[in-house]
Amino acid sequence: MAELYLEAILLILLIATTLIVLTVKDLMAAIVVYSAFSYFAVLFYLMVGSPDVAFTEAVIGVVSTVFFISALKKLNRGVKH
Amino acid sequence: MKHRFGSIVLDTAFRVLVPFTLLYGFYVLVHGEYSPGGGFQAGALLAAGVLIARLVQGEEAVYDLSGNKAVVLAGLGAGLYALIGFITMVFGGKFLEYGRLPLSVHDPAELHVYGILGIEIGVTIGVMATIIAIFDALTRGEDLYDD
Repeated sequence: MAELYLEAILLILLIATTLIVLTVKDLMAAIVVYSAFSYFAVLFYLMVGSPDVAFTEAVIGVVSTVFFISALKKLNRGVKH
Repeated sequence: MKHRFGSIVLDTAFRVLVPFTLLYGFYVLVHGEYSPGGGFQAGALLAAGVLIARLVQGEEAVYDLSGNKAVVLAGLGAGLYALIGFITMVFGGKFLEYGRLPLSVHDPAELHVYGILGIEIGVTIGVMATIIAIFDALTRGEDLYDD
């Protein structure tokens, strides 16, 4: 039963982080919250018993965050100095 | 290389993180059949290690795999995969039929282990070089630290 509650909490966190990514105005904040989404997805994959997918998601979450930030640097907007 | 790059926090993080990340990448590649992981994850981990070096050191990174070298390496990784597949075809099997590999062992299970390890090494090299090539294309011709 406790696992069910934990899964529900993780799913709510996933949906909440997705909505924040879609609605936030600052692109840098969107990237950071997307990284948090990736982390919650890792925890969710671990809970439903697929460590292989969780491992892939963890590594790709890091790499895609680096990609997004370097692309944002090229865009020259979204970062408040 | 004696001179210091970045601040002392970045310096220490680089010296501690990068060797362990690269070693863990090789571990995931070699242990791919017993534990979670495999060629793709190992390649992404190795690329993450190289990307950390790039982010800390900038242009003068030790692990210099920039530009065309990364693209050529990605092609070599895919080529290794295809080479193993076609070797088995040359020796009378189907594409990637590992039992036909021309090695001196005759146990089919052991031949499968070697064949899968070979294509996993190809996948690892391909994924690592592709991620580094994408990072290069995104940061080409600009200094990451200018404001």
